[in-house]
Amino acid sequence: MFPCTADATATLACTMKTFVRADGPDKVTGSGRYVADLTLTGMLHAKFLYAGVAHGQIDRLDVEAARAIPGVLAVMTTDDVPDHRYSPVIPDRTLFAKNIVRFEGEILAAVAATTPEIAAQALAAIDVAITELPVVNDIEAALADDAPLVHEDWESYDVTGDTIRDRNVATFSAIEKGDIDAALAGAAHVVTSRYVADASHATPIEPRGIVAQWEGDKVTIWTSTQVPYDARDGVCETLGLPANRVRIIVPHLGGGFGGKCGFHFEAHIAALARATKRPVKLVFSREEEFLAPDRRREGMIVDITTGLSADGDIVARKAWVGIDNGAYVADAAFFPQLAAMHVGGPYKIPAVKIDAQLIYTNRQPSGSVRAPTAPQACWAVETHTDELAAAAGLDPVEFRRRNLVRTGDEGIAGQIYDEIGLDQCLDLAVSAMGSPDLPSDEAIGVAIGWWPSFAGPAGAYAKMHGDGTVQVITGAQECGTGAVMTLRDIAADELGVGVEDVQLVYQDTGAAPVGPGATGSQTLLNHGRAVESATQQIAEQLRELAANELEAAASDIVLGDGVASVAGTPAVSVPIADLAATAAGGDLLLGSASAPMPEWPSVSARCVGDQEMASWLAPQFSCHVVRVQLDADTGVARVLDVQAAHDSGTILNPIGATGQIEGGVMMGIGQALSEITQYDEAGKQRNPGLLEYKLQTIADAPTISTQFVEIFTPNAGPRGSKGLAEAPNVATAAAISNALAKLTGGPIRQLPMTPERVWEHLDARRGSDATEVST
Amino acid sequence: MTLTIATSLDEVLSAMANGARPIAGGTDLVVGARQGKVTLPADLVAIDRVTELATVATNDGTIRIGAGVTHADLLTNDIVVRQLTSIADAAALVGSPATRNVGTIGGNVMNGSPAMDTGAPLMVLGANAALTTPSGTREVALADLWTGPGQTSANADELCTALVLPQPPQSSGSAYVRLEYRRAMEIAVVGAAAAVTLDGDSISSVKVALTAVAPTIIEVDGLNSLVGSPANDKAFEAIAEAARQQARPISDLRASERYRRHTIGVMARRAAHAASVRASGQTIEVPVNRAFGIGENPENIR
Ligand SMILES: Cc1cc2nc3c(=O)[nH]c(=O)nc-3n(C[C@H](O)[C@H](O)[C@H](O)COP(=O)(O)OP(=O)(O)OC[C@H]3O[C@@H](n4cnc5c(N)ncnc54)[C@H](O)[C@@H]3O)c2cc1C
Repeated sequence: MFPCTADATATLACTMKTFVRADGPDKVTGSGRYVADLTLTGMLHAKFLYAGVAHGQIDRLDVEAARAIPGVLAVMTTDDVPDHRYSPVIPDRTLFAKNIVRFEGEILAAVAATTPEIAAQALAAIDVAITELPVVNDIEAALADDAPLVHEDWESYDVTGDTIRDRNVATFSAIEKGDIDAALAGAAHVVTSRYVADASHATPIEPRGIVAQWEGDKVTIWTSTQVPYDARDGVCETLGLPANRVRIIVPHLGGGFGGKCGFHFEAHIAALARATKRPVKLVFSREEEFLAPDRRREGMIVDITTGLSADGDIVARKAWVGIDNGAYVADAAFFPQLAAMHVGGPYKIPAVKIDAQLIYTNRQPSGSVRAPTAPQACWAVETHTDELAAAAGLDPVEFRRRNLVRTGDEGIAGQIYDEIGLDQCLDLAVSAMGSPDLPSDEAIGVAIGWWPSFAGPAGAYAKMHGDGTVQVITGAQECGTGAVMTLRDIAADELGVGVEDVQLVYQDTGAAPVGPGATGSQTLLNHGRAVESATQQIAEQLRELAANELEAAASDIVLGDGVASVAGTPAVSVPIADLAATAAGGDLLLGSASAPMPEWPSVSARCVGDQEMASWLAPQFSCHVVRVQLDADTGVARVLDVQAAHDSGTILNPIGATGQIEGGVMMGIGQALSEITQYDEAGKQRNPGLLEYKLQTIADAPTISTQFVEIFTPNAGPRGSKGLAEAPNVATAAAISNALAKLTGGPIRQLPMTPERVWEHLDARRGSDATEVST
Repeated sequence: MTLTIATSLDEVLSAMANGARPIAGGTDLVVGARQGKVTLPADLVAIDRVTELATVATNDGTIRIGAGVTHADLLTNDIVVRQLTSIADAAALVGSPATRNVGTIGGNVMNGSPAMDTGAPLMVLGANAALTTPSGTREVALADLWTGPGQTSANADELCTALVLPQPPQSSGSAYVRLEYRRAMEIAVVGAAAAVTLDGDSISSVKVALTAVAPTIIEVDGLNSLVGSPANDKAFEAIAEAARQQARPISDLRASERYRRHTIGVMARRAAHAASVRASGQTIEVPVNRAFGIGENPENIR
């Protein structure tokens, strides 16, 4: 699978067949420290008081009694922090609730006390009166003509970019191409369907923690964030501090899946620490991790109409996508445009009109969870695709082969694709599954998916010490994927030293240059390029030094296995450590670089409400084929086997990449079958805990086989790579849906496809009420 | 707050006489307290080191399962697996390996949850709970022990020392089946246990009990009419119908009343089927849930 050829791009993957994670021993032996493990002298414990109602007017918020409790050192409300609205694109958020609460997890007050118990006592002593307001509980309620407004003063917000809004519609985007009406009118078959996906959660294993400590006018914040620089910028913005006075350090991070992207609670804790002149610590309970962050996977309604030619070519697609934003926009302003791309799908469609709305409700805010909008939209469009194949009288795989985008084709937004491997993904995954003889309770489902690569600014420093060992200082954030750990291998490869000779300094904004963080599959893509460039500068210096030493041209020097040697004459060599020792006496071996920005491809479709999500840099493609078994008596489904094929460009770290695919598939199975955040009539979550929010367990895992279509992709990540970690989370639920549709006589149309929903669907199809009881 | 770590039965009983609550594995008590469902009692007596509570023994036609026997032990204990197979079916489904290694049958029974997994098997096998104080032991039928969700008729100073069961007759078998949305860390949405004794191909006794469809585990009434009929699909369907009729499920976030009422019939049918297969001398591996695969696959019976 990873041929160790002379091809320069293959070398890293070959050396990385044995991947040693630098953070592995810490994590598996328990010696690694997470935020919750940190204790500082004199440290106080913070707790938040939450609204507890989904929509209401604050009539009274009296904290005096709480402040008077011995051991309580601070109680803060919106009156104690700068009056400031924040958030990218649509600044609709404040640190503390101000007059109105818009979801149950909104923070009314924060307490710092000498023990967690006293902090809890203080919360109980806060005198709150809230008059409940009518709750906008879902997408359809929000769009009703007489719907109450989630943000009465939405027009006053100071938005940026091409951001189209209207009352409860927080953002609107559309992709339009060709003459949709004419194309639909001329279609031989027209299929219309509606799909409804419920909200779900990222559910990292570690509930978040924050510790803040001031020294003079500088604050250090240890926090379990995926995005240290966003956290820093949020603190600076909300508390009015310059960037160089806020230092964010992330100890080991216990996962994120997007749930820990964005700026959340660091400013609250920093403010408490400043007010009390003591270090302050916050550790969330599992329930808080479900309720409070601005990060929920968005619920979605997708209405799609597709027109086909008599031969089964897609000629037109018209769709509407409604996305449940929740109470605040967080980072979700781009969701409509991204969802529209997914509802279009990786198909050649000459006429397109896809409207998408991000809709305010009184629920927890939605935000980027691994591949935001994609699993639900892919589930909808790929289930629809099987319906289209049936309408055209074609096999679903054949139908996809006919309509999918290939190298040189034009995508739905009018982007012309360079070399891509979607067709190969489909062929590989389908043939790997083969056509086994299936018992009547099993079926195979196929789906294809896609996902962009995101480039952003990222820098790196590198230094080679006098003994030849290397330090790489990176702004990258390890959220568990191993992507940061892979930076070591890139540095070692560039410098010709062993991986063990490279140490990383990471997750510290005080030390490293900026980076996007563990978000948008950007770590290796961006930081990899920065580390490559920074270490190449040192490699250049080493070659100069070796050229002098060996009396050869610098361009003839090769670095490898700890020595610099002359190309073609390996015996003429000098240890790299000797060169480093020489340099340590004078001209130091230092490198620093920011990753050069790739060029974005152009798009020709009309993009209304453009949030820069229609032009896809280095798009990734995938095909998942699943074998599913169904207990038709109960609706319980089980995924037995998954074949995944992915085009994510060059694969740098095969072990890490395969792990990402397997994890993404498991997450997709959860989304397909069991993960659902349920709400009551009052807009409150009914299952904010791991007993009732059903993640998949390892006992549920099917066999998962992965193949990569490795296409060297210029103008993207290091060595022809693309992004990787979100792409595996796109197509699984859709493939499961298509298998279930075969077993139940038609698509379920609700996500997740829980046992009860599957059974109800079967029961409706049977046309009889099997549970009728004569009492 | 006190915690007495007892190593003998006497120590436990005297601590309880002084008002301490027993704690075995703590997987209900401590977890419930941490979730804020209950407050942790001020005085606790840990019973997990009392070896006399942790044995399974047969004596003169009865089997005594010590209250301190863990689920992990139940599912490997030869007496349980051979003679009280439905209890092993249930124990195998409890939580995860960690839960099974510390959670006990006594804790399961005395916690009194209508969703407890060992409850329905114990009921169909005719178990009594032995409740002990310093002044003696009384035996209580489970139907009289469980009085409501999380409630028992035991007095605060009574320790459950054992579950006492009659040795099942020849040609009998039992099975427990649970509806599960996933394969570990699950809680019964509905479940059913059946114990069947055969006379040739026909039923000479059948008992069925239901999990999580009423305020307590309940036994299905009126199955005596099946005595003498062949143990076939018709009989199993009659059992399913009786289960659907007698279940009093609620709608909650795990399932609707309608879905529970339907699936309790499916579980009862499968439990009766599996118990009959075992009664006939064939083997279905423990737990039935896994042996059947998903659904009810007769190929997995040998
Ligand atoms: C992750 C997880 C998963 C679980 N999954 C399941 C499951 O699948 N099925 C299931 O049925 N249960 C499940 N449970 C619940 C629990 O594990 C079981 O009920 C277990 O058998 C309880 O036993 P314990 O020894 O831990 O009880 P404890 O928590 O120690 O005690 C429970 C109650 O019984 C009392 N008690 C304990 N022993 C005695 C005694 N000998 N005499 C009198 N009173 C006593 C205690 O005072 C307390 O009130 C799960 C729990 C967890 C945490």
